[in-house]
Amino acid sequence: MKRTSIASRVGLPAAVAGLLIFTLFPVYWMMSTALDPRASSRGSDVLPSGVSFEHFSRVWNEGDFDRYLLNSAIVGLGTILAAGVLALFAAVAVARFRFTFRTSVLIMILIVQMVPLEALVIPLFLQMRDYEMLNSLLGLTIVYIALSLPFAIWTLRGFVATVPKEVEEAAYIDGCSWPRMFWSVLLPLVAPGLVATSVFAFITAWNEFIFAYVFMQDSDKYTAAVGIYQFFGENDTAWGPVMASSTLVTLPVLIFFVIVQRRLASGLAAGAIKG
Amino acid sequence: MRKFVIGAVSAAMVLGLAACGSDSDDEGGGGDALDGKGKTLDVWIMKGTNPDADPFFAKLNKEFEKKTGAKVNVEYQQWESAQRKFTTAIEGGPDQVPDVAEVGTTWVPQFAETGGLVDVTDEVEAAGLDQDLVEGLKDAGTLDGKQYGMPWYAGVRGLVYRKDVFDKHGLKPPTNWEELRDVALTLKEEEPDMIPFPVAGGAEMFAMPFVWGAGGDAAVQEGDTWKSAINSPESVEGLQFYTDLATKDGLSPAKVTTWREDEVAQEFTKGNVAMTISGNWTPKTFLDEAPELEGKIAAAPIPGQDGGMSPSFLGGSYLSTFDSDKKELAWEYVKMATTGKFAAEWAEQTNYFPGTNTELEKIAAEGDPLVEPFAKQMMEAGATVPKTTAYGEIQASQVVLKLVQSVLKGDASVQEAADKAAGEMDDIFAKSE
Amino acid sequence: MKESLTAEAAIAPPKEPSRPGRTSADAARRRKRLVTLTRPWLLLAPALAVLGGLLLWPLVEVGKLSLQEYEVKFGGGVGTWVGFDNYANLLSHELLWRTVLPNTVFFAFACVVLTVAFGTAVALLLNRLGTIWRVICSTAIMAAWAMPAVTGTYVWVWLFAPEDGLMSRIAGGLGLIDPETTNWFTDRLAFYAIATLNVVHHGFPFVAITVLAGLMTVPKELYEAGMIDGASAWQRFWRITVPALRPIFLVVTILSTIWDFKVFTQIFLMPGGSGSNEDVMNLGVYSYIEAFAKDDYGSGAAAAVLLTLLLIAITLVYIRTLFRQGEEDL
Repeated sequence: MKRTSIASRVGLPAAVAGLLIFTLFPVYWMMSTALDPRASSRGSDVLPSGVSFEHFSRVWNEGDFDRYLLNSAIVGLGTILAAGVLALFAAVAVARFRFTFRTSVLIMILIVQMVPLEALVIPLFLQMRDYEMLNSLLGLTIVYIALSLPFAIWTLRGFVATVPKEVEEAAYIDGCSWPRMFWSVLLPLVAPGLVATSVFAFITAWNEFIFAYVFMQDSDKYTAAVGIYQFFGENDTAWGPVMASSTLVTLPVLIFFVIVQRRLASGLAAGAIKG
Repeated sequence: MRKFVIGAVSAAMVLGLAACGSDSDDEGGGGDALDGKGKTLDVWIMKGTNPDADPFFAKLNKEFEKKTGAKVNVEYQQWESAQRKFTTAIEGGPDQVPDVAEVGTTWVPQFAETGGLVDVTDEVEAAGLDQDLVEGLKDAGTLDGKQYGMPWYAGVRGLVYRKDVFDKHGLKPPTNWEELRDVALTLKEEEPDMIPFPVAGGAEMFAMPFVWGAGGDAAVQEGDTWKSAINSPESVEGLQFYTDLATKDGLSPAKVTTWREDEVAQEFTKGNVAMTISGNWTPKTFLDEAPELEGKIAAAPIPGQDGGMSPSFLGGSYLSTFDSDKKELAWEYVKMATTGKFAAEWAEQTNYFPGTNTELEKIAAEGDPLVEPFAKQMMEAGATVPKTTAYGEIQASQVVLKLVQSVLKGDASVQEAADKAAGEMDDIFAKSE
Repeated sequence: MKESLTAEAAIAPPKEPSRPGRTSADAARRRKRLVTLTRPWLLLAPALAVLGGLLLWPLVEVGKLSLQEYEVKFGGGVGTWVGFDNYANLLSHELLWRTVLPNTVFFAFACVVLTVAFGTAVALLLNRLGTIWRVICSTAIMAAWAMPAVTGTYVWVWLFAPEDGLMSRIAGGLGLIDPETTNWFTDRLAFYAIATLNVVHHGFPFVAITVLAGLMTVPKELYEAGMIDGASAWQRFWRITVPALRPIFLVVTILSTIWDFKVFTQIFLMPGGSGSNEDVMNLGVYSYIEAFAKDDYGSGAAAAVLLTLLLIAITLVYIRTLFRQGEEDL
């Protein structure tokens, strides 16, 4: 695609600029308010009244954010690893095999996530109590795995389905066993899908609030998403610390994405070679 | 039925002082059967009431450990969603609930009904505390004669205004509704950049003083049943006056229609509000946020329709004990925290009022101009909302706010909106019987 | 025909060894059949176990709850069976039909269409960019996604705050509104326009990243062939990209629909959105207030079940339409 028409020479940069403004302005607002020493009275000023790290240091020192971020990272990574593996297996099953109840299973996977989370809080709480998984990061991780699986299975199913069957068959003709074909042919080809699903799973785990709050009795097991809420008071909201803690929650996701983004590109390369 | 907390204080004060004076230090140790060694008490406290609560609890817990040998683990809960956490924990049973918890007065009926909270009526009496509790607050946590915990701190709303602005234009704090309107109209004239008097559509307790002040009420009890009264002629008169301030006199611009109390407070600290209803806990936070307002803020009770005061909502928090195997120990902790020096210290640090008359009187006697008017309001014209779980549902459905907002938006007249609200209230009352 | 496409069949050419042991060949074939039958279930088992134990079972509980009058009690609530009373109550509410459902459906529809269209457009844009700009843009997009929904909502509310917000200032400066008398949040349409902006801003990155990942798996040769055939960019999109990515479009559309019907936080936190302004209530807020704020879990569960049924219906329609033309099935 090396066409250089006038439209693309002007249109592309304009589209990029528009996209960046739309996506980043609210983010800019969050971050600049986090730095604004008089955050609560900012009003409509595009620039903050000054730059100071006082809200960040308050969040970090008083708000226990170092611990919360660590918890979030443990839960987040646990979720993406487990959800990725489980979803990939399941996706291969539904995309590559024909079996009775296949459609029912697929629909069921969709249906379980249609229920509003609010309605699940109490049943799931009691369920986890019976599994003795309350007040534990592992229990929370398992819940997030469950929450991210439906999307992951359906998406990966789409990716597995787009891999031409001939590619697989070629592998068999070369004498590969099924597991070997899975590992060295299918996996690289669906890598971009795995990236997309793990980004999704990570964000699900990272930003979820109500379970992370309700399930934990000890505050040292809270995740960062819960940490934000401590700055909403009954009578007033400390906007500076709210925005600073939100920034602290947002940044690791970005870092995570920058890391996995390379995979997205290498997935492309793999796809191009094999395709 | 609303309860006016009139005069209870002075009568109870003498008793209270006597009770407190004699047993402040050794009474708690009287329960020497209580050996808490090796035990840990879980305590849930609401976050943010005290900007820096850690030193307070460090001190309290140390003293508690000295006395009983038990350790205390304090967890702060967040107003935004604490109710969910409590509800799930209650469902979860004794292992999930804390031993001691701060419970907002409006939550007490709901939690008590689940059977999770311990009835401490006898304990309160045995400790000689029952006469010393602020009447309205004690009442808020008592259902069918059973008291579920100790009142810990309380707050009430009054009028907060900009003294410098009032002085500049020779204005005095209003003493009746007509004056309130006149003062606000003058302010509108003289200070066009300020909001003279916010009629905030998201603040239920801004509207209620006008309902009560006109002699109306949200609902009244008839025998065992409750019936809405929000559309009674008195209630409508009060609401009419209140909303007219915005819709007829333009004393509150369109943006205020959706404001909650915290937004009004925020605008006050920015210097954009001349006079508003505000909680007794707010003036100090205003000064913390905006030190330039030092000396420029003053307070007054909410004026009555024709003088005197309009009743204002008396709310606060209880320290309650949950039905766990450590409930005796937990009660010991509650007693320590809600009486004597710890109660006083907590009230001072949070800018709220303590729940016992003894401590309240001490504060009122100090004569702080930013405290005294509120103390007066609390002692002489505090009111509570109907004390039934059904009214909790009515508040959760935001019936009064819907009423106010639809009038402010111009969708309905006060009478129409009030009739609708009354219908909704009666539906909820009927359903909960 | 389907069976012959499976991997097992593909590697099982009828290369019968000429050994006479007929039974052993039978056994081998039976084993193969068994593997064919069990392998998909083995692959599915872990995922289904997690979903079954953590989502399906509570879902059944929610269904049971919806037929009960439920009271929260210390150590576990008590339910009394009431049949379909909760549903009857719910469906007889005039507010539900007049305000709540229309708000929910139109809002969800607008959000889904805009999210998927905009997300796809952004994915196509990203796919055309060089590596550096693609990294910059996709990271920016991720920032929009990663920003917690709570914070995002407050930021949008802040920007549109009547009279004092940046957008209100700009609109006032341009003479579009009278800032003194305009409160966006009390107007149903303006309220939902802001909510839509918020939801699309937070939701399109998911579509963009997923579709981009999909675009990367489409073999380049297909496009080259298309260009040789003289297809325009528009034609290439509809004739090559869309068919190749059909499963991915299906999943992002279905999931966006599910999420946008369930939107709660983004409405609840807006001024008046928590129930004090009936005009702007959606199903999420409505069921939250009916159920959880008012402690009536039976009704809340009934609302949740109704929402689920509605979503199932919509999903089935989607699947039908999306797969009608193609020869492939689900």
